[in-house]
Amino acid sequence: MRLELGTFPVRDARFGARTRWSDGVLEIDREAALAAVREDGLVASARLELARPGESVRIWPVRDVVEPRVKVEGPGVTYPGWFGRSIETVGRGRTHRLSGLGVLEVSSVNWHDAGGDFVDQYIDMSGPWAELIPESKLVNVCLVVEPDPAIDIHSQNEVVHRATLAVADHLAGAVRDLTPPESQTFELPPAPGLPGVVYIQCVHSPQAMSHSEHTFCTGTYGMTRLTPPWLVHPNEILDGALSGPYRTMFATSWTVMNNPLLLDLYRRHGKTLAFLGVIVFRTEWTTQHEKDLMAEQAAKLAKMLGAEGALVTWDAGGNEYIEVVHTVRACERLGIKTVFLTSEDNPEGGAPSLLKPLPEADAIVTTGFFNASLLDLGLMPPVERVIGYGTKGAGSAEDATILMRGDVDAQGAIPPPWRYDDHYGFNRLSSFAY
Amino acid sequence: MGIPVALVSAIYDLALTTGANRVVRGCRIEHVCGNPALGPDKDREYGLQIIRTALRALTTAVTGPTLFDPAHDEEARHAS
Repeated sequence: MRLELGTFPVRDARFGARTRWSDGVLEIDREAALAAVREDGLVASARLELARPGESVRIWPVRDVVEPRVKVEGPGVTYPGWFGRSIETVGRGRTHRLSGLGVLEVSSVNWHDAGGDFVDQYIDMSGPWAELIPESKLVNVCLVVEPDPAIDIHSQNEVVHRATLAVADHLAGAVRDLTPPESQTFELPPAPGLPGVVYIQCVHSPQAMSHSEHTFCTGTYGMTRLTPPWLVHPNEILDGALSGPYRTMFATSWTVMNNPLLLDLYRRHGKTLAFLGVIVFRTEWTTQHEKDLMAEQAAKLAKMLGAEGALVTWDAGGNEYIEVVHTVRACERLGIKTVFLTSEDNPEGGAPSLLKPLPEADAIVTTGFFNASLLDLGLMPPVERVIGYGTKGAGSAEDATILMRGDVDAQGAIPPPWRYDDHYGFNRLSSFAY
Repeated sequence: MGIPVALVSAIYDLALTTGANRVVRGCRIEHVCGNPALGPDKDREYGLQIIRTALRALTTAVTGPTLFDPAHDEEARHAS
């Protein structure tokens, strides 16, 4: 499977007469982009605004960040499977991308109405929170979109994400027929004699808690339900086969596609290791039995691929830790050396900062604390402009879950969103051992 | 001496490794003490069996974290 990825860097964007890319500047025909969104009769309102790195801007609430990519040659479409988009296997041929640019999905639509999960992420384009969030360094095209309120919450989620992909498609269309200034070929030729390594990427499923198989989440070809582990080629991920809105800025479509771990495994292929592929492992199974079964099966797949090493990441918290850490254990028991990247819990009262320390999990890389309040950042400073909604839930970072019902001025000094879970190691925080 | 505690848990493995002494195997995270798929009568019977097992666990001496499985607890089933 060979994929040529042509990159068109974006250093600035502005609204103009037609959508075109030239020498690092993206001009956007705002009305044409919005017309693509409004083709869906279930969109009630939509507007587009720009936010650049360094500006005193806050975007609230953010549900996803999408990098515009378009298939130029080869089967399928980028971001496949979502809402009727082709499910043909992607990862071959040529794809063009706008790098350094994000399409932000901004909407008051909550993930589901079963309780427990609330939209609570915002992005600052400057200040301390911007320093910690990778998407704050992008030129961001913000789509503020609301669906017809009469349709159910799952359909509302669908309308909102479909609208985001419509904008991304429109923008990527500008570079479909151009010659990319940078190009890179991604393929995994045989690498004999080098140790085989798999990447086991654990992704949350909303099925158990939202009572829907079709609501938000990182989807595999648009599918978010609880399914046994999938084997995917990393090129499929580069074409958006693993993408979708999520509850943290560290597992947006943009971060999954630009995952430094994935790209670094690729860089090392044929030099120090043989990258065997990605096992996408769906989490939040709700019995011990299911959790253990999936862990066993993921490790078996890795072994059958010939893995001598495995990297494991996850994107959630709480009980999902069990199937994830049991996967680490199952791999180690099969003789696969396994490294686990994770954020840590609050070690309150002397408890371990991981839910269940296991002797087999003997190579763990910490990426910080899950709970942003432990970073002692204080309040984020006021901003000159808010894109999205003017008010926000009040309270501490822990109970920032009251969402749009709040009466706090979103423009003012507010606590950071509660999650700081750098799943893929974007940042370089250091730590002290006491 | 302390107060004996029986913890009903769907993810019982976690309860055992975090030091709970008497752990009773529950159904699912969504419905720990019952199973609506069984229908009202069987669900009630199943829930009662979990509770009976939990009560038996309370009166059972243990030396460390121990799992009590309602599905294999004949003694509790025949208690009233």
